Amino acid sequence: MEQNRRPKTILETCGEEIIRIVTPVSICMLLVVILVSVLNGGSSLDDGLSFATMATMAYSESSSDSIWDKIKGALLNSLVFVAVVTVATFLLVLLFYLNCTKFLKYYMGFSSLLVLGFMGGEIALFLIKVSNFPIDCFTFAVALYNFTVVGVVAVFISKMAIFVTQAYLVVIGMLVAYWFTLLPEWTTWGLLVAMSLYDLAAVLLPGGPLRLLVELAMARDEDIPALVYEARPVISDAGLGDGVVRRRVWREGRGDLDEDQRLRSDLVSDSSLRTYGESEREINIVDAEEGRALGRDSELAAPLIQHINIRMNSLENAVSGENLALEGIGLGSSGAIKLGLGDFIFYSVLVGRAAMYDFMTVYACYLAVIAGLGITLMLLAFYQKALPALPFSVLLGVLFYLLTRLLLETFVVQCSINLLMF
Amino acid sequence: MTVAAGIGYTLLALGPSLSLFVAVISRKPFLTLTLLSSTLVWLMSLIALSAVWRAFLPFKTATWWPYSLLILTSVALQEALRLFLWRVNKRMEEMLDAYADRVSKPRLYITDKMQIALAGGMGHGVAHAVFFCISLLTPAFGPATYYVEKCSKIPFFLVSSIMALAFVTIHTFSMVIAFNGYSEGNKKDQYFAPVVHLAAGVFTLINLASGGCVVGIPLLYVMAIVTLVHCGNTVWRRLTDNRSMETNLQ
Repeated sequence: MEQNRRPKTILETCGEEIIRIVTPVSICMLLVVILVSVLNGGSSLDDGLSFATMATMAYSESSSDSIWDKIKGALLNSLVFVAVVTVATFLLVLLFYLNCTKFLKYYMGFSSLLVLGFMGGEIALFLIKVSNFPIDCFTFAVALYNFTVVGVVAVFISKMAIFVTQAYLVVIGMLVAYWFTLLPEWTTWGLLVAMSLYDLAAVLLPGGPLRLLVELAMARDEDIPALVYEARPVISDAGLGDGVVRRRVWREGRGDLDEDQRLRSDLVSDSSLRTYGESEREINIVDAEEGRALGRDSELAAPLIQHINIRMNSLENAVSGENLALEGIGLGSSGAIKLGLGDFIFYSVLVGRAAMYDFMTVYACYLAVIAGLGITLMLLAFYQKALPALPFSVLLGVLFYLLTRLLLETFVVQCSINLLMF
Repeated sequence: MTVAAGIGYTLLALGPSLSLFVAVISRKPFLTLTLLSSTLVWLMSLIALSAVWRAFLPFKTATWWPYSLLILTSVALQEALRLFLWRVNKRMEEMLDAYADRVSKPRLYITDKMQIALAGGMGHGVAHAVFFCISLLTPAFGPATYYVEKCSKIPFFLVSSIMALAFVTIHTFSMVIAFNGYSEGNKKDQYFAPVVHLAAGVFTLINLASGGCVVGIPLLYVMAIVTLVHCGNTVWRRLTDNRSMETNLQ
């Protein structure tokens, strides 16, 4: 048929990297919205629950306060939170500077254990209670244990199946985001705005902790140990046959530091690659593919620089755990886009909070967040350096939430009630 | 309205769009991005309109002329938006063609351009369905349902999802016709989309009368079918012209 004879246009593959980041972000937001509507349906948590967290240390909101008190309280809470996060990030920079990478990796594993095991277990218990699901505690304990252990291993080891790692990162983001939505309303919004301003400052200002971290990592050419979502890189049609080659290149790019270095230097000097227990044939395919990637003058070729930025996200709950999360957008060594888990979390918190009001705000905020993400990705492609991923999305999201809640809702309801549409 | 009924109403309004999305748009990531951006643009136009009209709503009078003014201004704004979208689309096609030349791949085919127009139109349609119909469903879950006095034979949600289906069709395919008209310079096609949109909006005014939806909604579907048929004819004509041009060149 004519269609098969014609060569494929760029419309087939253009924009694929963006979709590979937008899809997991959307899935995380969808899961948080579902959790919020199932678990918080009916009761409002603004007055009842006053649990002590880092975020409500300064001021515990109750629904009987006046608007002005609430605003002041929210501001105070946000300032305290941002201060704690700044201190924690500087601590992280110090540890990274002193080469305590092992400690950071173990800490990452420990924090994902806490999130998956305790928070995940608690939310699973809520869900079981709401849905009257018949399960005994032994089965539940075994299932939770297995789920948590696989998750911790997926975060620790980079040679896990990429889909499993990505799925677990999305689940961790969802759990932490749901926890954040339990905070009082004004505090949540204040926190979101404060965190996006902090992100802007920390990444772009010369003395900002995240910028220092990125420069350190670049100078040493190392991977920062933190929770980062990496989308699968886009490899254009090399005619070598699909899935296997694609996987190989990704794994080589994301492997150990030494492997990475050696691969690159070997490609440049054209000497034979050492095997790491992998077959010769596979590495030759990788060699050919990488060589082609370097030689080809294509937009899809990998920039061999890593830019990442980090923010540490501290959350004190009853179990007093701390989470290490990563925020910001960068380009991975194989050209894949990396998005920090903190971004996932805050986007989902925004949309989850919107879900507590009405679903119209959810749709509007979703579109705003995706638009902000798209703008950030375009700027990333343009400037080719580490960028904060929070400011555009969160500020657009907050703006659209306010506009929808105050203006759009009345308009649409009035038109629909009268069966007037356009 | 029970959850099952809610899912039914959603599928009624968005079912064809969902199948179109899965079959055509999800295959090419660029089309998904086009859909998301055009949904956002339609939402922004809706917010702009609500910013203007919020002060006057809800209307105290029962006469029809404030509503017709509302419809007129809304349709006018959205058609101006369509013109703006065409300019943006043309710019983007040029950028894509330049990029294709750089990576030595073929330029955009005519089917590609039509698919982009389809994705843009579907963005508008999905935005309409989501904001006018689906977002009203979720607060209403529970054992009872809601009826409007002017159209009291069927539940309100069913009426609004039927209307949303018609509008989704109109928005999706009139964008293809409009972009085709702008690129060919065909005046008839260029005026088709605004006229059909305005007619559809005016037909919904008939719903203001008591029992008016019995007349208004079938008229709305007439417009939807007219749009579908005209779009099919236009696309067929364009493709056969193109094919005969290609065979002439070869």
